[in-house]
Amino acid sequence: MLEGILIGLGTALTFQNLVMVVVGCLVGTFIGMLPGLGPMSAIALMIPIAIGFDPAAGIILMAAVYYGAIFGGSTSSILINAPGVASTVATSFDGYPLAKKGLAGKALAIAAYSSFAGGVIGALLLLVAAPRLAEVSLAFQSTDYFALMVLGLTAVAAFAGKGQVVKALLMTIIGLMLSTVGTDQTQGVQRFTFGMIDLLDGVSFLLLAMATFALSEALMGVIKPVSDEDRQREMDAQRNLGSMAVTGDEAKEIAPVVTRSSCLGFLIGVLPGAGATIASFLAYGTEQRLAGRAKGAEFGKGSVRGLAAPESANNAAATGSFVPLLTLGIPGSGTTAIMLGALISYGIQPGPRLYIDEPQVFWSVIISMWIGNIILLILNLPLIPYIARVLAIPGRFLLPLIFFFSLIGVYFVSFNTFDIHMMVVFAIAAVVLRLLGFPMAPMILGFILGGMMEENLRRALLINNDSWAFLWERPLTFSILLIAAATIVMPAVWPWLTKLLGRRKEEAGEGG
Amino acid sequence: MSLAKDRIGALLLFVFCGAYWYLVYEIRMLPFQKDQAFNAQTMPEALAVGGVALSLLLLVFPGSKETLNLRGFNWKIGLIMLALMVFYGLTLRSLGFILSTTLFLMGGYFALGERKPLTLILASLPIVVAFWALMTQGLDIYIDPLPAFLKEAS
Repeated sequence: MLEGILIGLGTALTFQNLVMVVVGCLVGTFIGMLPGLGPMSAIALMIPIAIGFDPAAGIILMAAVYYGAIFGGSTSSILINAPGVASTVATSFDGYPLAKKGLAGKALAIAAYSSFAGGVIGALLLLVAAPRLAEVSLAFQSTDYFALMVLGLTAVAAFAGKGQVVKALLMTIIGLMLSTVGTDQTQGVQRFTFGMIDLLDGVSFLLLAMATFALSEALMGVIKPVSDEDRQREMDAQRNLGSMAVTGDEAKEIAPVVTRSSCLGFLIGVLPGAGATIASFLAYGTEQRLAGRAKGAEFGKGSVRGLAAPESANNAAATGSFVPLLTLGIPGSGTTAIMLGALISYGIQPGPRLYIDEPQVFWSVIISMWIGNIILLILNLPLIPYIARVLAIPGRFLLPLIFFFSLIGVYFVSFNTFDIHMMVVFAIAAVVLRLLGFPMAPMILGFILGGMMEENLRRALLINNDSWAFLWERPLTFSILLIAAATIVMPAVWPWLTKLLGRRKEEAGEGG
Repeated sequence: MSLAKDRIGALLLFVFCGAYWYLVYEIRMLPFQKDQAFNAQTMPEALAVGGVALSLLLLVFPGSKETLNLRGFNWKIGLIMLALMVFYGLTLRSLGFILSTTLFLMGGYFALGERKPLTLILASLPIVVAFWALMTQGLDIYIDPLPAFLKEAS
């Protein structure tokens, strides 16, 4: 492991890669701060630029954009109560009340320190967990990979929230369907190309990611503009930040909260599909229960604990989601799904072999997270008052630029104007589905995993003489598929089960 | 009677999945390819069945009864932006990067409410030129800056 850390340090500390981290953190913070644009859009916007560099530098850039965007999202949550992403919604519960009390500077500083601690603890856990899991997963076969991909897809749906499971599963299938467009890799057969040459290579992942995230979010910004009242609130917030000092007592109060929430966040982040949103809410709820009656009552009214918990948890979860990506090649979240797509564009197949075949990529990403978190703290904390001014840029200038960067980013990869028109079609579809409340992340996850899933299933069938028996005969494959089935069934069965258990307890109580 | 959002979405996706299912049988394979246990139709067929089944499930049992409220949306500007994007795709090669992008950005700013001609130019042309210089000089990505007719003349 020491050798790996040295390789990582050697790669991450080159001038070029340090510049990548700094630029990534700043750009990520900038984009993440814009309400509506989250880490996924930020990374999608950076892919065309990242592809111009070597894989290690490109992935370091995207990872830096990722945690920069999460930090940026927290800033808009605190200042204007407009979370850029779902994972910073819990931050606004106490961050915004603090800002309303004139303590926006303090809230931003606590958010920055907590994010830093969450990121660093998460990176430390990643350093320990990732190589271990990579070693274990070397024993995996294509049948297990197929099962793992099924688990990844079902887990995303299962964690989608109440009433959303079927919608998330349906969107996953739509993503899988889109992945079948183009020439079938094994048989060389054209599928759903309608005789169009432009579709022979299928739909580009970058095009789909840009159209369904960056472009559709910008379109939503255009059709549902910010009200004058909100605009005024944004201007006031970025003018009156107040002091950024955190007292010793406050630091003592949040230290255990940050440690607990970071560990919890990391563990949640490792689970495929769970991600930073669930981690932040879970950490918030846990700390509220642990805080006792008096301190717990402060939650939601400007509690420093209530701010530190989700902030450290969401950053640690973001780091944790790299574990399944780097070791199994299975993204733990929509954001890491986009990064997986970028890695594949580089010709790198993430998975257990990444640890052996591309150690510089594997280790430099882990080490760069430490460096990135330090840079995020050193650079962003003093720069927050200036970066926050981005909230004052009128939407009429910002939105056309987002459209432009999204379109040209895709065009620069293919140099085909057909892609621009295809993006418009996908963006319209994404806006319609968003208005109807259908989630986009499962779709992109399905799209990215679709090709690999089909390939692994085909290979598994070949190895097993066209017999499907491997699904239940190989214990590891069967166990993973069982877990996948449980993740789908449990959300539906759980409420009924707890009701039943509660009734039994009541009956037992009455009887006794 | 207004349909729940989930039901409208389910209906749209049911139509999409149904069309996809129909197109699965349009995939042309050679006879020996058809006979394989896992061929180019296997996965799409399974997905079509799954998609149709789930969309029907959502249609019958929607997750929420919330209805679609389209009040307060500015559809006109949305359509203008879409038209601008299509226009950009059509003119990027013929007008060259600098002219087409400047027109696209100026059109976007104008559609979203900016009316000062000087601001329209200053907020677009310098950005476009700087971006073009960064791409061609910094990242070695070549893109035609000039309209096709000017290139032919020179």
